[in-house]
Amino acid sequence: MASAMEDDVVTLDRRSIYILPTRAGIVFTGLLFVLLVAAINYSNGLAYGLTFLLAAVALVALLYTHRNLHRVRISAGNAPPVFAGEVASFEVCLSNSGQTPRVALRVEQEEARSGARPPWRMAGRMQVARVHLGDGETTCVTVSLPTLRRGYLHAPAISLSTEFPLGIAHAWSRRVMLPTRILVYPRPAPPRPRLAAYGGGEQAGTAAARGGDDFAGLREYARGDSLRHVHWKAVARGQGWLTKEFGGGSLGVQWLDWDALEGLEVEVRLSVLTRWVLDAEQVGELYGLRLPGKIVEPGSGEAHRDCCLIALALFGES
Amino acid sequence: MRALEPVPDRAALLSLAVAGTIAVAPYALELPIWLVLLFLAFALWRYAIERWSLYHPGRTLRYALTGLAVVLTFQQYHTLLGRDAGLMLLIALLGVKFLELKRYRDYRVSAFLFYLVILGAFLYEQSLALGLYALVAVLANTAALVHFAAPDELSPGARLRLASGLIVRALPLMLLLYFLFPRLHGALWALPDKSSHALTGLDDTMQLGDINHLAESSDLAMRVTFEGEIPARRDRYFRALVLWETDGRSWRRGPALGDTAEMVPRGPPWRYEVVLEPSNRRWLPALDLPFGQPPQARVRAGFTLEHREAVRERLRYTLTSFMRYTTGELTERERAAALQLPDTISPRTRALAKEWATEHGDAREIANAALTLFRREAFFYTLTPPPLGADPVDEFLFGTRRGFCEHYAAAFVTLMRAAGVPARVVTGYQGGEVNEAGGYLMLRQQDAHAWAEVWIAGTGWTRLDPTAAIAPERVELGSEAVRRMAAAGRPLGVGPIADSLQGIEIGIFERGWLTTRLYWDLASLGWYRWVTDFGPERQRELLAALGLERVSLRGLLSLMLAAVLAVALIYALWLARNRERLDPAQRAYARFCRKLARAGLARAPAEGPVALAERAMAHLPDKRAAIDAITSSYIAARYGSGGRIALSPLRRAVRAFR
Repeated sequence: MASAMEDDVVTLDRRSIYILPTRAGIVFTGLLFVLLVAAINYSNGLAYGLTFLLAAVALVALLYTHRNLHRVRISAGNAPPVFAGEVASFEVCLSNSGQTPRVALRVEQEEARSGARPPWRMAGRMQVARVHLGDGETTCVTVSLPTLRRGYLHAPAISLSTEFPLGIAHAWSRRVMLPTRILVYPRPAPPRPRLAAYGGGEQAGTAAARGGDDFAGLREYARGDSLRHVHWKAVARGQGWLTKEFGGGSLGVQWLDWDALEGLEVEVRLSVLTRWVLDAEQVGELYGLRLPGKIVEPGSGEAHRDCCLIALALFGES
Repeated sequence: MRALEPVPDRAALLSLAVAGTIAVAPYALELPIWLVLLFLAFALWRYAIERWSLYHPGRTLRYALTGLAVVLTFQQYHTLLGRDAGLMLLIALLGVKFLELKRYRDYRVSAFLFYLVILGAFLYEQSLALGLYALVAVLANTAALVHFAAPDELSPGARLRLASGLIVRALPLMLLLYFLFPRLHGALWALPDKSSHALTGLDDTMQLGDINHLAESSDLAMRVTFEGEIPARRDRYFRALVLWETDGRSWRRGPALGDTAEMVPRGPPWRYEVVLEPSNRRWLPALDLPFGQPPQARVRAGFTLEHREAVRERLRYTLTSFMRYTTGELTERERAAALQLPDTISPRTRALAKEWATEHGDAREIANAALTLFRREAFFYTLTPPPLGADPVDEFLFGTRRGFCEHYAAAFVTLMRAAGVPARVVTGYQGGEVNEAGGYLMLRQQDAHAWAEVWIAGTGWTRLDPTAAIAPERVELGSEAVRRMAAAGRPLGVGPIADSLQGIEIGIFERGWLTTRLYWDLASLGWYRWVTDFGPERQRELLAALGLERVSLRGLLSLMLAAVLAVALIYALWLARNRERLDPAQRAYARFCRKLARAGLARAPAEGPVALAERAMAHLPDKRAAIDAITSSYIAARYGSGGRIALSPLRRAVRAFR
């Protein structure tokens, strides 16, 4: 089941659309019965005609409702990483490859992920958006989930539903599980006093070096270098992009070390390390991350920061 | 479930109000007109509340208004049940409901009930016009429902288009249900009395000057469809009543005469179907002379047919008549009734009759003498005769000498009876208009006519129409021509018939109007046959014609369901076919591929344009250039930067490719 469901693009075929009358549909059926009784009682040909016309309209409307979902394509869009505690936003794109517009589609997401359940039932529905897809159009909507833990967060199951055109029938699709997942970084701990934070390990007492007074030289600018260290005067003089290097050897490198946080719980340690990574990046220093079984070599810049955050987010996961 | 359900806006309210107004409007003709106005007032009130943010009436006021609707209905009908009261209450409450609409759910319920309102109007009338109107009402109501399901997505035009699409596609299914759903006899509960308001038509009492008021009425009296050709105009006498009894001023049917003379056919039979408009009378007109009678009717003395009850709705019956016939001997009671005359008949009338009786002796010759009198003396045919006093026959014969069919018929029968010849007045319809579009005969109230029958030994009752003697135009050309000639101030019965029509030709616009009227009448007759009159008997006839003579109720229901499901399945497949959208370049290229396929070079499923081109060029070396041009411009248009610029060369090249 999973492989069929977890394609990148899901096209709703006939077997993945279900349809039932709405409450209004049941009322309408009752009305048809009243009309039929009136037609029989008064032996009224025109009343028979109207009754049967409405019954036929209801039947055709049922087919229209089904068609409104048939062959809609659902695909995954962007899924940017977030920190635990923030809201994860998954982009879900719907496209209409046909010529008939898809009118008043409702996108719903599953509220809770729970064990095995038939594909036509979701554990709690939450409407996300109403979508109108014209001839050949594609529209993306955002499905959001709160994040609690670090690690990968899978997109919630979504389902499309519609009651177009008369509101007497409700058609909905099976639960569609897109393969997208969002990486949730550990929740950053509150800022900590730096000295305490950097205490222990081989880098103790390097605050002065970290300050950057100790100019070591210039090198070619590389992507990811902090803009604070760009030698702007050289840029202004037209000598190209150079980066100032501070400290020397290992002395200028901040090792953000798992072992420095001895005695704290795993998740707290990860939170603190996350905070350090963010702070170090903000200040613009060279930093490396040392975790049990995983070492991120020193560096700086956003790509490097993301590397560290990924290592932290996935710590302990195989 | 948390929903982002949109809140109904003013546009939704407007849709509902328009649909409701269209549904309720026909009731202005049937129920008190203030009801329709009240409904409109509530709709406008709610609209004003939304438009100008007026005070929205609270629950107490709304309950009070609901109570008021109930009270008003009760006051009108002294009941809340039955057709009139029930529909009035429904409409009034739907009006009040406008103040209570909140969510789309409420809107939807109102729209559903409007369908019931549309149906209610059919309980008063089942005309073709109302049927067409109802289709518009259903369209507006369905478009309103579409509006509530897609509040913002579609324009009003798109909603109407969608609703019409639904209805058009529903029509075949509807027809299947309509014709195959088993029709049942009888009502499930007691029906209200049908209104028996006065209707224009022949009366069973003839007072001289009466038929005159019919001459102006072009209301339809009956339609007659003949099996085979339609008889000539001069033979089209449809008898409704035979008037035996007279007091000198008026003519009546008199008491029932029991068994009457037998009719012996002397010519070919004429078979026909009559659709009689409601007359509120019991008689059924029949072509002279009917043989046998329709069910639920009996034959009265004088070969007239009488229905079990007054005809309050259109009635269809089939008959056979013989235009040549003889009738048997008179019974004593008949002879007495056919010779009855009041004592008030003037001596000079009696003297005139006596003179003929002694002079001729034979009944036929006496009758001819009377007709010769009308022809020779200065008698005139006019639809506006001077009024007559206490002894109308005498005044007419010796004084005014102006009148129309019934004056002549009454005077003639009076003279015959005075001369000792058994005679009676017959009223009915004569002539009529052939509806060329439908091949049937239409008889209007203006075709109402009175003539005489005298009993002649050997032939029995014989029709003699004194009007034909004085104004042959009435019988040869019909009532419409007579009306036109009268309007043009031309005298009747003076010149040859052939010249009569000169000067009364109708203009092109009137002709167009008349033709339209004929087609409309044809549609109305079809409508009557297939809608109003489509009951258990007609359904049996239809099924028999389809070869399903002995189908059980269950069989019919299964057949209906199977047919409906089959059509629904076809629809489902057809709707699912929702074509993939191709861009113009793909379309042009697909056309190229079809042309190649015809040349035996079908594109393989995974074959790219370049591979296909290579294969094609190998097979069709003389078209290398064209194939290459098409392929490269397709690639440029679809994948390259060429875009639209490459499109027109591509299209041209594909078109030129053979």
